[in-house]
Amino acid sequence: MTLKLGRHHFPDDATLMMAIVNRTPDSFYDKGATWAEDKAFDRVAQVVEQGAEIVDIGGIKAAPGEHIDEDEEKRRVVDFVARVRAAYPSLVISVDTWRASVGRAVCEAGADVLNDAWGGADPGLVDVAAEYDAAIICTHTGGATPRTRPYRVEYDDVVRSAIADTVAYAYRAVAAGVDRRSVVIDPAHDFGKNTFHSLELTHRLGEMVETGWPVLVSLSNKDFVGESLDLPVGSRLTGTLAATAVCALAGARIYRVHEVVETRQTVDMVNTIAGRRMPARAIRGLQ
Amino acid sequence: MRRFALVPGVLALLPEYAGLSDPVLDLRLACLDAVRWLGSSGDGVVVVGDAQGSRVGEALLSAGGGSTGAQAQSAFAARPPAVLVVGNGSARRSEKAPGHLDERSFAFDDALRAALVSGDASWTDDGLGEALLASVDGIHRLFGLLPAGTEAQVDYDDDPYGVQYWVMRWEVG
Repeated sequence: MTLKLGRHHFPDDATLMMAIVNRTPDSFYDKGATWAEDKAFDRVAQVVEQGAEIVDIGGIKAAPGEHIDEDEEKRRVVDFVARVRAAYPSLVISVDTWRASVGRAVCEAGADVLNDAWGGADPGLVDVAAEYDAAIICTHTGGATPRTRPYRVEYDDVVRSAIADTVAYAYRAVAAGVDRRSVVIDPAHDFGKNTFHSLELTHRLGEMVETGWPVLVSLSNKDFVGESLDLPVGSRLTGTLAATAVCALAGARIYRVHEVVETRQTVDMVNTIAGRRMPARAIRGLQ
Repeated sequence: MRRFALVPGVLALLPEYAGLSDPVLDLRLACLDAVRWLGSSGDGVVVVGDAQGSRVGEALLSAGGGSTGAQAQSAFAARPPAVLVVGNGSARRSEKAPGHLDERSFAFDDALRAALVSGDASWTDDGLGEALLASVDGIHRLFGLLPAGTEAQVDYDDDPYGVQYWVMRWEVG
């Protein structure tokens, strides 16, 4: 299905790189490297240069930590969104927030996508997306409260749960007035899930793709990769790319990533193998 | 007026081997110009070459909007059709060429080029064509069809991947 991400349109065979840009002092991977606004702006310039179609700007780390109220979250992201919007008119700007009030402020500032990483925790977020003709990412958290870690969570079938919840959320967004082409589903690896759940979702991602809703995957350097390979943050790129390849073969459309270049190459290679993309240039043996 | 054209049997010209960028763009454009010129004569076009080369010829005609097969055969019944010859020179013209380097390639291709340009039907490959991986089946037949001394217009003459390609045209009054 054609994707409409705010003011941007993408054909139905396009895969998209969504680069993570943290306006946080404490996110797990970069540990505040882009906390300063200019550093975050440099990061945007870098990922645009690397070919990212989307930036996903976040003002609150996912894990538990210092309480960040709405005003502080807005201070971190709203003016920054406006600055990126002005500098990069053709870039898709996503904001990682669960709060409708923050969503409204960033849409006013030029955001195209609301990435609701906490799966509808604030029911008003879809109304904001509809009002501003923004896209929305519908994630599965198993009902987890924002910024909590999973503790003894179990599912009868995590994939069925992810499909049921994200598709229900998608229909809720459409019912609220969000353009059907602007709704994306995300199984949300590691959110409300242990490693076995995230592995199962990766292995069976094709079932989510078969729903017909475009699928986003956020795999980058996560704990399910680390626990699978017994590797700390900083040593998980190979495992991340292996998981990325499996999701690409299944047909994921959007990849939320720290490493744009490596992920783009992995996704392009897999889609070329799958016959969904032509080789860049083929002459060997064909002269 | 009867028209003849020569194109190389480069598999990269086939749509099933297309990439995001075209490694033989200049060659392709020259080939398409030549097949359109053949088709514009109003006669049908027959393809002459080995089996693989004929696939390339048919694909070029199709891409150029030309008529082949039954149409060409019916046209042939009325008057001789235009002829698309598929063939090329040595595939051993550099160390990275498909057949690696064979220094004999250069004299072989020079002689073949000279014969094609001047319409010299006395050309013979001296048994070297096979050794140099040249595709000359169609070219032998061309020399059987061209009146001796018919000069060619040369549209393309290069060996970008160690294989000698030509695109040439002949018009016979």
